[in-house]
Amino acid sequence: MADIFSATVIVATLSSGIRLAVPLLLASLGEAFGQRSGVLNLGVDGIMLLGAFGGYFTTLKTQSPWLGLAVGLGVGLVLGLLSSVISVSLLAEQGISGIGVYLFGLGMSDLLFQKLVGTPLPAASFQKSPIPFLSEIPVVGDLFFNHSIPIYLAFLAIPVSTVIINRTRFGMNIRAVGENPEAADSQGISVTRVRYAAVTIGGILAGAAGAVLAIGLGIFQQNLTNAQGFIAIALVYFGAWRPLGVMAGSLVYGMVSAVVLLLKTRGIIPLGASDLAAMIPAVITVLALVVAARRFRAPTALTKPFIRGG
Amino acid sequence: MLTHRKPGFARLLAVLAVLALIATACGDDAEEPTTTEAAAPQTTAAEAPEEDMPEEDMPEEDMPEEDMPMEPLRIAVVAPSASNDLAFTQSIVDAVNVIVAENPGTEVAITDGTFIVEDAAAAIRGYAEEGYDLVIAHGSQYGGSLQEIAGDFPDTAFAWGTSADTLGQPNVSAYTAASDQGGFVMGVVAAALSQSSVIGVVGPIEVGDAKLYVDGFHNGAVATGPDVTVLINYIGSFSDVALASEAAQAHIAAGADVLTGSAQMVVGAVGVAQTAGALWFGTQANQTALAPDLVVASQVYKWEVVLRQIIADISAGSLGGKAYEINLANGGLVIEFNDGFNLPTEVRAGADIVISGIVSGAINTMEAMAAPPAPMEPLRIAVVAPSASNDLAFTQSIVDAVNVIVAEQPGTEVAITDGTFIVEDAAAAIRGYAEEGYDLVIAHGSQYGGSLQEIAGDFPDTAFAWGTSADTLGQPNVSAYTAASDQGGFVMGVVAAALSQSSVIGVVGPIEVGDAKLYVDGFHNGAVATGPDVTVLINYIGSFSDVALASEAAQAHIAAGADVLTGSAQMVVGAVGVAQTAGALWFGTQANQTALAPDLVVASQVYKWEVVLRQIIADISAGSLGGKAYEINLANGGLVLEPNPAFDIPPEMFAGINEVIQGIITGAIDTGAN
Repeated sequence: MADIFSATVIVATLSSGIRLAVPLLLASLGEAFGQRSGVLNLGVDGIMLLGAFGGYFTTLKTQSPWLGLAVGLGVGLVLGLLSSVISVSLLAEQGISGIGVYLFGLGMSDLLFQKLVGTPLPAASFQKSPIPFLSEIPVVGDLFFNHSIPIYLAFLAIPVSTVIINRTRFGMNIRAVGENPEAADSQGISVTRVRYAAVTIGGILAGAAGAVLAIGLGIFQQNLTNAQGFIAIALVYFGAWRPLGVMAGSLVYGMVSAVVLLLKTRGIIPLGASDLAAMIPAVITVLALVVAARRFRAPTALTKPFIRGG
Repeated sequence: MLTHRKPGFARLLAVLAVLALIATACGDDAEEPTTTEAAAPQTTAAEAPEEDMPEEDMPEEDMPEEDMPMEPLRIAVVAPSASNDLAFTQSIVDAVNVIVAENPGTEVAITDGTFIVEDAAAAIRGYAEEGYDLVIAHGSQYGGSLQEIAGDFPDTAFAWGTSADTLGQPNVSAYTAASDQGGFVMGVVAAALSQSSVIGVVGPIEVGDAKLYVDGFHNGAVATGPDVTVLINYIGSFSDVALASEAAQAHIAAGADVLTGSAQMVVGAVGVAQTAGALWFGTQANQTALAPDLVVASQVYKWEVVLRQIIADISAGSLGGKAYEINLANGGLVIEFNDGFNLPTEVRAGADIVISGIVSGAINTMEAMAAPPAPMEPLRIAVVAPSASNDLAFTQSIVDAVNVIVAEQPGTEVAITDGTFIVEDAAAAIRGYAEEGYDLVIAHGSQYGGSLQEIAGDFPDTAFAWGTSADTLGQPNVSAYTAASDQGGFVMGVVAAALSQSSVIGVVGPIEVGDAKLYVDGFHNGAVATGPDVTVLINYIGSFSDVALASEAAQAHIAAGADVLTGSAQMVVGAVGVAQTAGALWFGTQANQTALAPDLVVASQVYKWEVVLRQIIADISAGSLGGKAYEINLANGGLVLEPNPAFDIPPEMFAGINEVIQGIITGAIDTGAN
């Protein structure tokens, strides 16, 4: 099929990649905040699932995707605080406790779905909001400026986060408690408070990721995220704990997924190779980010609970 | 009895369940059954004599039943719908009113509207406690509850219908209606009156007296000649009046000018007949009032025929243990013709000949239909399945099937562990059920084969079923089951190609294995069989659970020009959403997916695993625990194409669709999938 390089197909494919990337982008950006402060939260997928159900259910009942998104954020906030209590105050082993949050989210979201909804029902979704003038630019306009508002906001969150982490006192505190909490503590910075804030931001963004996913699809199902939360955690490592890095990783993953879909749809990847092709996005993303992120290193205090004077 | 379990984190969920129940508690209070004490005439004076009649007072034989003097009793009725539903519940209420008229002094209490079985059980128990002499549980769904209650009140007589099974209790009488008999008669009359020779039937669920009626009606109609087409649509509900109405509309659109239907939701369909000027045949109660000009006849249930026998038996000291039937011969079924409808005399005469033929046994109403299922012992059945019980796809198909088995075989006990997409969890559940002594453990997922091979060897006395697979793992106690999903896929592929404007059709598959591959292959071959200009784009996304990727695959199809989509497995809910947004048509498989996009789902291929479960259970009852492979297909009724009543398939396409279905059944058409 020669029309595979037509503008319509290219725009549709890249838009598809952007939609696939956004939940990963939000979740991994949130995880980056927590990890920069020294806290590994493996519960991202569980928070995403509960945010997804909260967002879907609210939208289903109120017909308002925006209310749904707000509930998704709220669910993320609560679970972010819960994760903080577990990791920061109770000093739990971070490699284990997050799995508990994940299993809680996986089971709870399905239980609530079964009890409150049952058979999947379609819910309202976000409308596309073309940006005036910009969306009329050929190809580029359709690709970048013809999405729903949450997608714009997700990409806007990247420069905002970069500024917060690199240019504000709060961001400096996050980096300080992630690198050397004892030194930060001696400077009068409350390690506990900073880590609570960072992990809770991570929770809010994970909740948002789930809600954007579910409301974007207009449907919920058991294990809707399909382990995207764990891919997001991997993207934080390969994205070198930087907002731009996780954005690049999310976009590579989403774009490669979309291109693989296109190639399968058009029969360029033969049916027999379909299952093999399903792993291409993960492989390419890992390779790309390993090459790009070689010179960065993890926050020194990552996964280490802070015990004052300990 | 349905118990739901979750794997792995069961204890955590137990705590959470309490929270969720609090959250849902407020949602359950809307439907209170109405209890009508003495809706029937009730005398308040000093009647109601004590029920304990010395046995010797009552001569048991020698006297025709009608003439036998009966002591007035206290009778209670518990029934699922409204007393005046012009259908199932009204039939028993009318009958007890006849008994009251015949036996002044009889006291009657009625609790209707108990479509929630737990409410019915409470009412049945309440009446037994209050000392009613005869408590009638009028609903096959009440069997499980009645079994327990009847044991607790050995001195109370219970009657249960429609069922031929007395639950093994000496104080339970069972009663059924041979509704196929009146159905056959009306089918003959309907075929004689139809101008278009197309007749539409709206059924609830394919069980009990509704199934008998529909089968009899179908056989009667087609017995009149080969050119009669009977379209049958079981809408899947006893109560969805709107859906029944839409199903009737679909029949009218397909050219039907005569309609019939069974169960209380058909009031919606009668209205459609009225509007369209189509003729209507009623059953269960006289439905003339619903469409006085267009109701030709109604088959009316006269339960009083069995109630008289049951009451006589009670008076004679026997509280149950027998099964009764109403039929044309004993006057329990009566064809009431509508005097307001001008039925040609020769048609009426023909109907009378058919009635005498059925009464004498010269006509077999079940001819041309598959033999009714053999009587089966109620078993304990466990199901282990990978996704949610209501996933509108793979897991739901088996859960629906065991529910049908439960409805057919009251007393069957069912336990379900769903959501075990982790194979180790499934293996633990399968082993657990085998240890708990379940008779049949169903491992519903081809991925469970490796685990099952080990487990089946450890429990040689337990029967296992495994699907979808054609391989019994070399174990004598494993049955395998598959779906010839290429067959329905082929039919829907043909329809899809006919409906597509762009001649581009998109398919979203999970992984290229099992019934998903069969379906996709069949669909592809059906679509391209219609002509060389049809393009079928196929995308196996590589996952059974990635909803987002399925959604994007559907978007890619749309971008490539597809205006008709289909897909298999539980992650397609994402793709249906895309079809909805893009205004593309959707064909479903595994379960009826109309609910996901009510305007755009054309049809769904529905799996009726009960067809193989009946065979497996019959084999178990006969002592064979496995070693055989079963298949559902279009020919054995295990695969059914359910059109969406709200989607208007052009009537001229129906003939072609039926031709394809028949071609596949007879083997004239090869779906080309393997």
